[in-house]
Amino acid sequence: MKNEENLAYFLNEAKTIKPRELGKKIRIAFLASSTINGFEETMRVKCFQKGIDCITYVADYNQYNQEILNQDSELYKFKPDITFLILDTRHILGEYFFSPYSIDYNGRKEIVYTKHKEIQNICKKFHENFDSKLVVTSLQIPSYSPYGISEGENYGFKDIIYKINHELFDEFQQPTSQKVFIYDFNEFVSKFGENNIFNYKQFFSGDIKISIEYIPKFVNELMGYVYGVTGTSKKCIVLDLDNTLWGGIIGEEGFDNIKLGDNPIGRSFVEFQKRLLALNKRGIILAINSKNNFDDAIDVIQKHPNMILKEENFASVKINWDDKVVNLQKIAEELNIGLDSMVFFDDDPINQEYVKKLLPEVLVVDLPKDSSQYSQIITEMKEFDVLKITEEDTKRSDMYLGQKKRKELENKVGDFNEFLKQMNIEVNIQKANSFSIPRISQLTLKTNQFNLTTRRYQEEEVSKFSSSDNKIVECVKVSDKFGDNGITGTYIIEKKNNDEWIIDTFLLSCRIMGRGVEETMMNQIIEKAKSSGIKKIKGEFISTTKNKPAENFYEKLGFKKENQFWVFNTDNIIKKPEHVKVIKNE
Amino acid sequence: MSEKLYEIVANVFNVELSKINDETSPENLEQWDSFNFYVLLDEIENQFSITFNLDETLEIKKIGDFKQLLEKNGVKI
Repeated sequence: MKNEENLAYFLNEAKTIKPRELGKKIRIAFLASSTINGFEETMRVKCFQKGIDCITYVADYNQYNQEILNQDSELYKFKPDITFLILDTRHILGEYFFSPYSIDYNGRKEIVYTKHKEIQNICKKFHENFDSKLVVTSLQIPSYSPYGISEGENYGFKDIIYKINHELFDEFQQPTSQKVFIYDFNEFVSKFGENNIFNYKQFFSGDIKISIEYIPKFVNELMGYVYGVTGTSKKCIVLDLDNTLWGGIIGEEGFDNIKLGDNPIGRSFVEFQKRLLALNKRGIILAINSKNNFDDAIDVIQKHPNMILKEENFASVKINWDDKVVNLQKIAEELNIGLDSMVFFDDDPINQEYVKKLLPEVLVVDLPKDSSQYSQIITEMKEFDVLKITEEDTKRSDMYLGQKKRKELENKVGDFNEFLKQMNIEVNIQKANSFSIPRISQLTLKTNQFNLTTRRYQEEEVSKFSSSDNKIVECVKVSDKFGDNGITGTYIIEKKNNDEWIIDTFLLSCRIMGRGVEETMMNQIIEKAKSSGIKKIKGEFISTTKNKPAENFYEKLGFKKENQFWVFNTDNIIKKPEHVKVIKNE
Repeated sequence: MSEKLYEIVANVFNVELSKINDETSPENLEQWDSFNFYVLLDEIENQFSITFNLDETLEIKKIGDFKQLLEKNGVKI
C-alpha cells in the first residue's frame, strides 16, 4: 500500500532524508497566500531522489508582502536560490471572486489595473532586493461565473483574471527577464481538472487550496525550475528502435510489416516520434542504441514513408549487437556529454533494469508495454526543462550534424594539423551583453570537462560581474566551415590590482576543445593584460571528478606553479594557434 | 476489515501496525497532527471509496470513530 505518489509517503520520507553534502544543492523558499502544508516536504523528497540536496524555507501564510518588503525578514536571512510565490484567485480578488458583477465595467477594468500592479510591484521589489529567482503562479481562471453561459464580455469575470495573467506574462515571461518567471497555473488545472485539485471539504476544514491528493502532482510541476536552476536538466535522449520508435521487430517482421502510421499501434509511434522531433528542434540531442542488423534498421530510418525522425536528427547512431551499456558509454563519449545528462528509452524491462543497475547516472524511463502511453510519458517529463531556451539550444541539432561531418573530415584527412587548417576555424571574442549573459550562465552551470574552476554562476551573478569595473567577462563564438557552434566558451577575469589579474573562470564546451580555441582564448587574455600593463596572470585549477581534460592546460601554455596558483609572467609569450582566425568585438 | 483501516493509519503516520488500535488518537500518538489528519482522512476515503460529510469528519477524535463512521456508511468493518 506504500504509494510513492501520495502525500503521506512524501511527508514520511521527508523525516528520514538527510543532506548528503555531495552533488547539487538548492535553497528553496515558499511564499503563499494560503496554507501550503506538505509542499516543502514533497519538494525536499523529490529533490533528494534526483540527487539534489534541498533546504527549504516556508513563510507563514499570507506574509509574502512583508517577507519581500522588509529587509530584516527571515526570507532575506535564508538567502534562497529560488522562491515560489503561490497566489490564488480567491485571495487576490476577495469578495469580487463571488460577485464580480457587483461593480460596473469601469470598476472591473480598474481591478485588472490595481491587482496586476500589486503583483507586479511585489515582483519588482523582489527583483531589486534578492539574488534569488522568483516563480509566481498565475491566477486560476475559474470554470464558474455567476453569469453562466452569458459570461464572455470584455472585462467579464473570467476575462479580468485572464487579463491580469496576461499582464504578468507580458511583463515577466520574456527572453530578457532573468529572474522572475510566471508559472502557468492553468496548465496544472487543465491537466488535472478543477474538481480534482480543489476540494471544498479540505478547504473549509484546513484552508487547503490544492487538495491533498494533488499536492505531489503540483510540486512535480515546479520541478522543472529546480532542474533549470541547478543545471541538472537532461540534454540527450537515447532510443531503442524495435517497439520504441516503431511497433514490431524489424529483423523478424520486415520493412513492410512493422507498425508505423496507418493503424492504431502505428499511430502511437508516429505521435511519439513527433514529440521527440519537437524536443530535438529545441535542443535535446537524440541518439540510437539498438540491437539490430544495421542495414535492416537504417533502411527503415532512411526510407520508411511514415518515419518522422530522419537520420540527421540523430547525433549518434549505435545499431549493432554490442552491449547496450557499452553503447551508451560510447554515445556519451562521442557526444562529449555526461551520462547524467542522458535519458534512455527502451521498451524491454530487462534492458531498463540492466542499464539502471550498471549506469545509475542515466535516467531510465519505465516505459510500459503499451505504446499508447509513450507520448503522455514524454510530455509529462520535467527533466528537459531549462529556465530559458537559448539560441544555442535551438541550433544544437545542426551543430551536432556539423560535428559528424567534422569527424568524417578528420578521418579522411588523417593528419590532425592538416585537418585543423582545412576547418577554417573562426573565433569571435566579445564582451558579455544582455544576449550572451543567459548563455554564459548556462555554460558555467553545465560545462564539466574543460572547466578550470567549475564555478557555477546564475544569470544575475554574471550580469553583476559584467557591469563591475573589477571584472572582465567575455565569451567566444566559434564557427568553422561546417557551421556556427554559437557561444561555446567564456572566461571571467578578476582585476586583482595594477599588477595582477586572476582567472576566476575559464571554460570551453567540450564539443570544441582540442582545436586551438582554448589557446586562442588564453592568448587574448594575455594580450589584453599586457596592454593594460599587467605583469602577472594567475589561475587556479580546481580539480573535480570530471575536469581531467583541463588538468594540464596551464602547464602546457607555460604557466608556473606557485602554491595553489598557476602564474604566467606577461613578459613571456605563448604560441598562437595559427589556424584560428580571431575576430574581436569589444 | 479493521486490519485494513489500521494498516492505512500505520502507513500514513509511519508507525508500527501493532501501535494502532481503536483508542489511537492525537493524545497518545505524537505523529498525529492537525495536517496529517486530513491526509489520513483523504487516504481512508480513497481506499474505502467513500466520502464523509464535513460534520462527520469534525466528530472524529480517535481511530474508533473512523470505524463507526465507516460502519454507519455501510462499509463492513
